Amino acid sequence: MRNNFFNKHDACLTSRQGAGRGDIVLGLFGLFLLYLLYSSGFFTAAAWQDFNRRFYQNFIKDQRYMMLVDGLKATLFMTSGATLIGLTVGLILSVIRVAYKGGAKIPLLNKLANTYITVLRGTPAMVQLLIWNFTIFASARNLNTQYIAILAFGLNSGAYVAEIFRGGIESIDPGQMEASRSLGLSYGDSMRFVVLPQALRNVIPMLFNEFIAMLKETSVAGYIGIDDLTRAGQNIQALTLEHSQPLIMVAIIYLVIVLFLTHVVRKLEEWLSRGRR
Amino acid sequence: MKKFFAFFTVLFLFAFCACAFADEEAKLKSVNDLKTQKLAAQRGTTGQYIAEDLLGDNKNLLLTTYEKYVDAVAALRQRKIRAVIMDEMPARRFLNEVEGLAIMDEVLSEESYAIGFRKGNTELVEAVNKALAEIKADGSLDKIIGKYFEAFLGDGSSSIKPEDIDFNKGAKGGTLVVGTEAGFAPYELKVGSSFIGIDIEMCALIAKKLDKELVIENMNFDALPMAVSTNKVDMICAGMTVTEERKENMDFSDNYVNAKQIALVRAGDYEK
Repeated sequence: MRNNFFNKHDACLTSRQGAGRGDIVLGLFGLFLLYLLYSSGFFTAAAWQDFNRRFYQNFIKDQRYMMLVDGLKATLFMTSGATLIGLTVGLILSVIRVAYKGGAKIPLLNKLANTYITVLRGTPAMVQLLIWNFTIFASARNLNTQYIAILAFGLNSGAYVAEIFRGGIESIDPGQMEASRSLGLSYGDSMRFVVLPQALRNVIPMLFNEFIAMLKETSVAGYIGIDDLTRAGQNIQALTLEHSQPLIMVAIIYLVIVLFLTHVVRKLEEWLSRGRR
Repeated sequence: MKKFFAFFTVLFLFAFCACAFADEEAKLKSVNDLKTQKLAAQRGTTGQYIAEDLLGDNKNLLLTTYEKYVDAVAALRQRKIRAVIMDEMPARRFLNEVEGLAIMDEVLSEESYAIGFRKGNTELVEAVNKALAEIKADGSLDKIIGKYFEAFLGDGSSSIKPEDIDFNKGAKGGTLVVGTEAGFAPYELKVGSSFIGIDIEMCALIAKKLDKELVIENMNFDALPMAVSTNKVDMICAGMTVTEERKENMDFSDNYVNAKQIALVRAGDYEK
């Protein structure tokens, strides 16, 4: 998708003489954004005058940046914990569904897996989080709320990961399975040694995207009382009564992490596709 | 196709400009004027109920509820709304620290804060009421309130350090889990990794009297009733007003402080 977009765009910029109508619209839109910023006083000296003072108030004074650091820790802890649960649950579910399709006699398990995926993909993660915390774990008093969040996000992501895995396995030519079966490997062995390794190579980029999405999804954890990165920004807002700076700082931190992860995926993709050209 | 796109984009821009930068209407003179204006409140607070009463049938159209006061006041300053209905003390803090705001002279309602409990948790209500009466009688509650009003509405709000509050760590009687929404200075505020505020210090004193360790759970205000009814927290201490509606789902302690609901407006938009 991404490459397509850029190619199209490049073609539009280079193949035509002068600017196309699309570019004029884009330019108009840019001008309009500039006008919006201008009209909200963004370019006035007053807006920048006390930028440093407010920055100091928001992040430096009394080591307030530590609130963001603690929030980041909680966000990363929840994301990594949920990733592990998501991978495990997703793998189990996809194996059940693929095995059922492959002829294993597990109709009940398959039905269960299907229902699980339907329900967890069909409801918002935030609603699930609230249900986990206030309905299912209503009486769990001394349990750290972060563990409940990890469970909620992990099980939710498990449903998506299951679909990613299943897609990956089904993308492998059935001939591979037939060939390895005819060479005398059992169903399980040909799955393990022939199909899954190839499927994994196909799904790793999608898996990473799922986890990047989850990193951002954890920003609703504030609803059940977890001071994650987003909530830490809101806590600074309440402390200094400043609205935009803490939010923008939080956005920048998320963006930096996502950019880093995207970079890792790209490297991984290159590494996985070596010798495939 | 492109022609259509361009046409509608330009149309959209013009329409947006016309809506977003419309001229200001007549200035607000009294609370009566608010009945036809866009108002905001924090979700689940008495401010929301008062705004709903003010607006009557128009409330779906004109009332916006925000998760945090900071968001509501930002919307006010950006002219998205014309008034925020909120508690007086937090409003005064905004007035002190943010330019261009004013508080309307008329008070919308007078009320009292109390601690909220799960319905039927009589044992804890009685124990807390007893402790509350004691700290009221020996003047320590008044001292706390005075200290915070001085710190937040006078100058030098940094004089209160969270380290000075004794959470009674390692108490033998177990824990007292208190739910709050720490964006409501001077009643509760998160500083670093701990909390300060009138409610927090009061709860610390109560916890000491009950020989329990104080644990603070920081949540959104509209999630607090849910948390106390499912036993996630033992009690709510978040500047919560006693209302008949809330009494149906919750038990309350005795009142500990009186408060007012006011309308926070832009200074340039208000004419006495």
